[in-house]
Amino acid sequence: MPKVQFIDPKDVRKAGEVTFNPIPVNQYNKSIEEEKANFSKEDFLRIYHDMAVIREFETMLNEIKIKSEYNGVAYNHPGPAHLSIGQEAAAVGMAYTLGVEDFIFGSHRSHGEILAKGLSAIHKLSDEQLTEVMENHFDGKTFAPVKANFKGTTKELAIRFLIYGTLAEIFARETGFNRGLGGSMHAFFTPFGVYPNNAIVGGSGDIAVGAALFKKVNRKDGIVVANIGDASMACGPVWEGLAFASMDQYTQLWEGDMKGGLPLIINIMNNQYGMGGQTCGETMGYDIAARIGAGVNRDQMHAERVDGYNPLAVIDAYKRKREILKEKRGPVLLDILTYRFSGHSPSDASSYRSKEEIEAWQAVDSIIWFGKELVDAGIATQDELSSINSGNTDLITWGLKLAIDDKVSPLMDMEKNPELIGEMMFSDSPVDSMEAGREAEVNHPLEENPRVKQLKNKERFAFDKDGKPFSKIKQYGLRDGLFEAIADRFYKDPTLIAYGEENRDWGGAFAVYRGLTEALPYHRLFNSPISEASIVGTAIGYAMCGGRVIPEIMYCDFLGRAGDEVFNQLPKWQAMSGNVIKMPVVIRVSVGSKYGAQHSQDWTALPAHIPGLKVVFPATPYDAKGLMNSALQGTDPVIFFESQRIYDIGEQFHEGGVPEGYYEIPFGEPDVKREGKDVTILSIGATLYRVLEAADQLQEKYGMSAEVIDARSLVPFNYEPVIESLKKTGRIVITGDATARGSFMKEMASTITELAFDELDAPPVVVGSRNWITPAYELEDAFFPQAEWIIDAIHEKIVPLKGHVVKSNFTEPEQIRRNKLGI
Amino acid sequence: MAIPVIMPRQGQSVETCIIGEWYKQVGDQVKTGDILFSYETDKASFEEEAKEDGELLAVFYEEGDEVPVLINVAVLGKSGESVEEFRPDGDSTEGSSVEQEEAPAASDATPAKEEKAVVLDEKPEGKIRISPRAKVMAEKMGVPYEKVKGSGPHGRIIAQDVEAASESIPKLTPLAKEKAQAESLEPAKETTGLGGRASASDLISYNPVYGDDFEVKKLTNIRKLIAKSMHQSLQNSAQLTHHMSADARQIMALRKSFKKKLEVGEVSQNITINDLVCLAVIRALKKYPQANTHFIGDSMRWFKKVHLGLAVDTERGLMVPAVKNADDLSIEGLSSQLSTVAGNCRKGSIDPELLKPEAASFTVSNLGNYGVEMFTPVINLPQTAILGVCTIVPRPKDLGDGVYGFVPMMGLSLTYDHQALDGGEATLFLREIKTQIENLSI
Repeated sequence: MPKVQFIDPKDVRKAGEVTFNPIPVNQYNKSIEEEKANFSKEDFLRIYHDMAVIREFETMLNEIKIKSEYNGVAYNHPGPAHLSIGQEAAAVGMAYTLGVEDFIFGSHRSHGEILAKGLSAIHKLSDEQLTEVMENHFDGKTFAPVKANFKGTTKELAIRFLIYGTLAEIFARETGFNRGLGGSMHAFFTPFGVYPNNAIVGGSGDIAVGAALFKKVNRKDGIVVANIGDASMACGPVWEGLAFASMDQYTQLWEGDMKGGLPLIINIMNNQYGMGGQTCGETMGYDIAARIGAGVNRDQMHAERVDGYNPLAVIDAYKRKREILKEKRGPVLLDILTYRFSGHSPSDASSYRSKEEIEAWQAVDSIIWFGKELVDAGIATQDELSSINSGNTDLITWGLKLAIDDKVSPLMDMEKNPELIGEMMFSDSPVDSMEAGREAEVNHPLEENPRVKQLKNKERFAFDKDGKPFSKIKQYGLRDGLFEAIADRFYKDPTLIAYGEENRDWGGAFAVYRGLTEALPYHRLFNSPISEASIVGTAIGYAMCGGRVIPEIMYCDFLGRAGDEVFNQLPKWQAMSGNVIKMPVVIRVSVGSKYGAQHSQDWTALPAHIPGLKVVFPATPYDAKGLMNSALQGTDPVIFFESQRIYDIGEQFHEGGVPEGYYEIPFGEPDVKREGKDVTILSIGATLYRVLEAADQLQEKYGMSAEVIDARSLVPFNYEPVIESLKKTGRIVITGDATARGSFMKEMASTITELAFDELDAPPVVVGSRNWITPAYELEDAFFPQAEWIIDAIHEKIVPLKGHVVKSNFTEPEQIRRNKLGI
Repeated sequence: MAIPVIMPRQGQSVETCIIGEWYKQVGDQVKTGDILFSYETDKASFEEEAKEDGELLAVFYEEGDEVPVLINVAVLGKSGESVEEFRPDGDSTEGSSVEQEEAPAASDATPAKEEKAVVLDEKPEGKIRISPRAKVMAEKMGVPYEKVKGSGPHGRIIAQDVEAASESIPKLTPLAKEKAQAESLEPAKETTGLGGRASASDLISYNPVYGDDFEVKKLTNIRKLIAKSMHQSLQNSAQLTHHMSADARQIMALRKSFKKKLEVGEVSQNITINDLVCLAVIRALKKYPQANTHFIGDSMRWFKKVHLGLAVDTERGLMVPAVKNADDLSIEGLSSQLSTVAGNCRKGSIDPELLKPEAASFTVSNLGNYGVEMFTPVINLPQTAILGVCTIVPRPKDLGDGVYGFVPMMGLSLTYDHQALDGGEATLFLREIKTQIENLSI
């Protein structure tokens, strides 16, 4: 899109060929003697120790799952345990060189990575820092049972803290790292640089990219490692993450010190299986996963395969790749070859692989092999190793006993505090700037912005003093309200970034961002690949690390493309982290019309159905600006619906027009747009203006005065004003552009019936779109709710209107017929 | 938060009450348990206590006003709180503001809203469809929705139908109401206002000759009720009265002996002549069950037990409480129960359920104490008969062997509904009472 990049047909049409560089496979070949120069005895023993701890931890869980007993301690763990027995060298090698400021993201099989990264961080942090971390986490709640009666060193204490916090989390204990709300597949501990692990295969494939983006855009130290499995390379969102991570613009368009690639390593923990499928030879075609790098960018992502059964080989690779990232030449793809002895989970009988294969890998078991190397090289004695092993058995036995002790490690008391989880769904905290004190990078003062200057001449109220509307072009529109709120926040919050498919230069397909290109440097407003999963997924990673972000979904219909990110990731992490993480992500979703079945759908019901998302849908410039300000002031994920029908609509309701200054409209409060006494019409989104037409007709033709309420928000939603209105009118029609079946309108109708049954003079009636595909623009009037439909519905279902002739069929037999047919 | 004080409902049949006296005035501080006002139901009076502390913020009805039960009559709360939300509908004291509201309503109505709810004489066929709102509204306004014609989809009764039905009872327009109060005027029978209301021009002066040389006193609720039921009784039945007299010597002797027993403490109850007469009546009724009945048009209720009504004269007017299962009682028990219900009537604390005419199967009205020698009591419908007990007067009587002496004779006047009983049956029944009185034994 940028004009600076000239696409010259002469160049691009020239004949030539694409060449590739060889991708290294298991090239590490140093002996332990040679490595003595790089590692002290202590280092070698620590590598051994860390691998052995992970082995013991996972073995214990395996025993608990299979035999309900470990080392004489009985326990039944009904939850999941996806173990990584056999993969320890890969985990420890990955974590060994990482600093505390380096972040790792993981998968459902990440216990080993949590422990490896945690142990690495403990090694690097001072005693004071460790004590502070442990004392501060949930005010010492996790630490308290660990430190009781302990007399060793702070580092030993911290190791116990790590084992206990992880295990208590796996066992859903309130003292776990995430209050037991994450569990085995989602456990993490950010103070040690361990970011959320993810139970959705490939879930970290785009989230981690967002974390790297955060580090880059906000000039934070450290790199980001996405530990994902070999099978996740088949997942669309992972590819989308790769595309987002390798955009040319980082090196070609971003300016100054921002020029350069993301500090990101896509680390494929290649255990060669995905569930029961074998990735090489059966379910994938890449043969060697590192091959993928060659298809992604010119640098081939610096991809290579590394023998993950040798921890030193992995450490070596990380040392080399870190240099590449330092030179801003990321991202990097590593294919760390490993093998899990255990099944996908303890319920897996490994019927898809042979006993011989497992035994062959056990014969090269990295822990046994590495121990033998140390003994052979005279670095350690067998006794020293045995002592480490027995120490680990004691440590894990201690951790198990403590984590299953209901007195010190209780479950959340849902009887005493039945709303505990409810209280964690949203953070509900107003925050001006996610990084207070840092100045926002902008290109000029806001008043010098061409759009801002232009808005000075617009009429902020739609009508003149005689009630005559100003011309459309003179009116300050809904898009202007959004612009003012977003521009304001860009100048307040240095972490705020926005991106989507056409955000820079174009200024958004609907001109909301017009003017922002001039105001903001590239790294704060840019165009993304057309890949909604990465647009939302990266935003999640960006927010997890502490940034505020506005990803844009250009048409609501594309929300499906970001299904996992919107439904599984975005809404979950605040509560699943025990409120450690905040999620200041405002997804702008534009609802279309005119463009047929895949560009005209109102899917408000989908995010509203998912707990953990706030959902709003303003229909006036005043509400759009006020709600956007609230969305950007909060730290909760918001799905911000906008309608393409009304981006240019002027402010017709708020007296005095849209204020120039900052104001917020609280989420959840519906607004009475017109008072009336005979029937209430509750509208979601752009139907507001058709409702007003219907209200006029009702008054003129039938002497019926309609009270018009604009829902404005869907989640949260305060039903009280609607019930107040119902007390007056006793009748309600609920309308919106969504297809009626399963819509939020139906949810409202049901809730209103429960809350105000005695006030109802007729059933609440829903007037939504037909349960069809959206037809062409020319046929839309037969599909979307029209003013006449509302009147027909009132006539048929609420109160017969004298002399009214219906045009649409709202009769009960017809409703039954349509439902029978599923249309 | 201000709270409304409602007119309580005393008993299932009570629809309206009349405010007796306000003990607290607007602005007074009220403590929980303080008596706010007194009120009368059909036949009893009560006092309403404050349920919460607070200031009496508003009073919506004055002394003497008739108020439907469960309607807000006053508001308690903190000084300065709004009371408007509690003001009962259609009783705004601001006559003018209501008038203003009415004007646009009239013009609103022009396009389509002229349809009037029809109140049917009979329940319509089939299931009644009514919206929850209309049902609640009908119950609050006392509109019998079973007979309202519904104007909603499928003939569903909706709120507008209930509203219209309640308005079909003519009322005064707000302006007329104000004028009527100020000038002591009353509405003419023919009214011209909206919805059959009497407008200001429909008001007439009561009597131009006497001017204001009289005071209009509203009937008490109880007076209205007595008037209605007495009038109905004579309109709806075929009443006639037989008179007879009974030798009262035995009954007087019994009375004397009970008096002595009371003095020496052998009995605890003061057994009166009336108690003894009632006992005799109960015994007679057991022999003539056709008199222990209700006449209900095409059928009669024959009671297995005697539920004896007793006419009691009180300051508020006539009341007839019932003693249930009176035939199970000993003379002492009967005496005790009769005096209890009579006392409760006089105190105003009688259970309204016992005052319903349906509660008794037969009634005794005793005017003997007042020297009445003969009268024609009016039946408490749907009962089929009532016995009037008159004073005892000495009358000559054949004492045997041609000797005549003066004997105390008690007059008995039996009014019966000829629809239910024939003259012969009634005479035999009356004679049985006489026999029982003359030969009464305990």
